[in-house]
Amino acid sequence: MNVPGGWRRSRSGPDAGKYGAGPHYRNEGWGFILPAFLCITIFYFYPLLQSVVYSFFQLEYTTDWLHAPFVGLRNYAAVMGSIEFWQSVRFTLLFTAGVVVLDLSAGMLLAIAAYWIHPALRALLRTIIIIPWAIPRVIQASIWRWMFNSDVGIIGTLLVRLGLAAEAPLFLADPNLALVCVVLTYVWKGASISAVFLMAGLASVPQDLHDAARIDGAGRLRRFFAVTLPVMFPTLVVTMLFRLRDALRVFDVIIGLTGGGPGNATESLNTFAYRMYFDFNNYGLGSAYAFIIFLIIGIISIFYMKKFLGRFDFVR
Amino acid sequence: MNSRKRRIYYWTASLLVFCVITLFELGPLIWMGLTSIKPAGSEFSIPVRIFPEQPTGENYRTVTGEGFNIQRALGNSLIVSSTAMIGTLLLSSMAAFVIARLRFRCRHTAFFTIQLAGLVPPIIVIAPTFILLRNTGLLGSLWAMILPHMAYGIPLATLLITGFFGSIPVEIDEAARIDGAGSGRIFFRILLPVISPALFSAGVLSFLGSWGDFMHAFTVSLGLPRLQTVPVAILSFSSAFQLQWTWIAAGVMISVVPVVAIVVLFQRYLIGGLTRGAV
Repeated sequence: MNVPGGWRRSRSGPDAGKYGAGPHYRNEGWGFILPAFLCITIFYFYPLLQSVVYSFFQLEYTTDWLHAPFVGLRNYAAVMGSIEFWQSVRFTLLFTAGVVVLDLSAGMLLAIAAYWIHPALRALLRTIIIIPWAIPRVIQASIWRWMFNSDVGIIGTLLVRLGLAAEAPLFLADPNLALVCVVLTYVWKGASISAVFLMAGLASVPQDLHDAARIDGAGRLRRFFAVTLPVMFPTLVVTMLFRLRDALRVFDVIIGLTGGGPGNATESLNTFAYRMYFDFNNYGLGSAYAFIIFLIIGIISIFYMKKFLGRFDFVR
Repeated sequence: MNSRKRRIYYWTASLLVFCVITLFELGPLIWMGLTSIKPAGSEFSIPVRIFPEQPTGENYRTVTGEGFNIQRALGNSLIVSSTAMIGTLLLSSMAAFVIARLRFRCRHTAFFTIQLAGLVPPIIVIAPTFILLRNTGLLGSLWAMILPHMAYGIPLATLLITGFFGSIPVEIDEAARIDGAGSGRIFFRILLPVISPALFSAGVLSFLGSWGDFMHAFTVSLGLPRLQTVPVAILSFSSAFQLQWTWIAAGVMISVVPVVAIVVLFQRYLIGGLTRGAV
């Protein structure tokens, strides 16, 4: 079909009937997309490349940046050779494992509760579940830091009053307990996020599958594992990857809750890289460090992109 | 009789579950609220009292007064987050329009590139961005937060809006084109009102994203109170006034009100936006 003015709707090919505009609109397209591209390039791709470049130089705040010595891969070697790096890798992995497991299981419990609860309470409960998600992580860390206070914190006090502990533990002073505290603080918000996703997933399980299973004599628990979980599996995978990516980037909660302490016990990949930059002013080392983090997260993200983007028909 | 018993059992169990979950989700906030109305200094008295003996509003007066000035942080956050949100929405909806609606050769590449940016972790861009902002003289103004936050919101917003375009009939554009409207007119006059639900959820999400950002805001605020957003201000409270938890608690309570209100009012859009495509 040809319309005066050259406008034509394609009738064949992959875009048949989907995209209304004819070829001569291509140039207008640039005008619409360039601002976003420019913005993304300036604040994502340019700094990313710049960081990679930095990572090959010996750059300190006082160095003359135009004549900084090129050191090749020596920054990377220095990072890999440092004890702190492996400490923060260990912490970040332990933290991530704890967060993902607890986020998903607590999120699942919350989602099931919101689904199962009496309809009169359902809407209110959903709202309450979502509230922690809105609170910025640093503020959340402040809240929990007060609750974990070893002298007058509410958690220690309750533990003592309920007879679970003789005296309030030194939550943030013991390396292992500090890890647990950071995880718990993180999960308060993370469980909300997971619950939001899983609630949507639960709603997508068809009721007739449940009914069929019930008629076949499956109990509640059996129905959950044999019907609900398999149907929800894709949602679960996506939620897990979201949480995984989030936990690997942990920064705010640690700064607000423990500041990396006691010692370096709760120093994560991100907080350590940040210190390299802004406390030690060593941009070369910091960049090498950040690039290693980028690679770790990138590998996971590629897996995630495949899952995620496959769902959009205009990208396939 | 049996069904009545079951109904009562269901109600009781529901209420119980409701209370337990509420305690878990809101307990920390409630404890903060209780601390914030205790007289300053009494939060450290032993044995710990859960409810204050003499509730006081003194702490709220202190944090809104000269020394702390939490309103300034709230104002900064409001300016930064809403300006960044408007920018994000404008740029992303224009990009989404091209990706979803125009016969544009680089459509797929464009979409993929924008989504790729969303996967770049903040830590790797923070230092070069800081230096860029310093060299361009933006450091020291709120623009140093607004512009990057605007960019950080684009990937998610573009994803949501592009997805929403798919549910709008192409015939709308076609009819307008036959009537002689150009792309600009079609986008601003016809499509923008139609995609407003997507704009709304993308807007709320990018607002909250900007509001909650700490790493960037902390870095470019340079420790100056006049540049601090809410999260940065609360953290600087807790490090500068370690011992006055009633004040910190009052600051936290004030700072939490706007976001909790947003979530309670707009939760439907939020959930729709967040879970779109992921579930």
